[in-house]
Amino acid sequence: MKRLIIILMLLLPIVAMSQSDLYKRYASRQELTVAQVSGFKLNESQRVDVVLIVADDEAAWQQLAKELNIKGEEGSVSWLGDSKNPAQRVKWTGAPVLRVVASHARRTVALYRITTEAQYDALLDYQLNNMKQEK
Amino acid sequence: MTENEFDELWQRAEAESYGQRLAAEYPAWRRRQNRIITVVTSLVLVVAVAFSLHTLQQRQRRDYEKVYCNRVGTTDVQWAALAAEMLME
Repeated sequence: MKRLIIILMLLLPIVAMSQSDLYKRYASRQELTVAQVSGFKLNESQRVDVVLIVADDEAAWQQLAKELNIKGEEGSVSWLGDSKNPAQRVKWTGAPVLRVVASHARRTVALYRITTEAQYDALLDYQLNNMKQEK
Repeated sequence: MTENEFDELWQRAEAESYGQRLAAEYPAWRRRQNRIITVVTSLVLVVAVAFSLHTLQQRQRRDYEKVYCNRVGTTDVQWAALAAEMLME
């Protein structure tokens, strides 16, 4: 029995990965293409889960934009959203949040799940470093 | 001694001899069983540890661990790239 428990403990980290509630919520919709990238690497020690929602046509995008309360029709917008309700804008308090990035041109919304301050900092560093490299 | 009495005695002697042989061989059989259990458990543990290490190594090398998608025909790499590109938007 003890041996079995040890084996299960070893295998637990492997089976722990699964589809998030956020992914399941949007994946069932016909007009949306949804992907969950589990463990997206920000740096050597920090990873985040990302849910990407792509509207298949303009009508689907308008509907999604309305649901997420995305204003304007050009460029991209970004905000911190409630971990269960991404449309609700929140401030960083250390509690789990979603970094939401919405692009009108791509008809895409990306939801980065942040649960720790280290992930929050790593995400900002990732953006800054890559923007510098692009310039 | 009648023939029946002789048969009875013979059977009893045979049964007692089997009992003694079983009693003598039981510890060795038990040791073999334990050895088999230990070997099988060790093999399972080694495979589990090797698999965990392999997964961890792969995790360190790749930009993502796993991708789920509700559409067929898309590649995991494309989605990981999109997750990176969206941060540049």
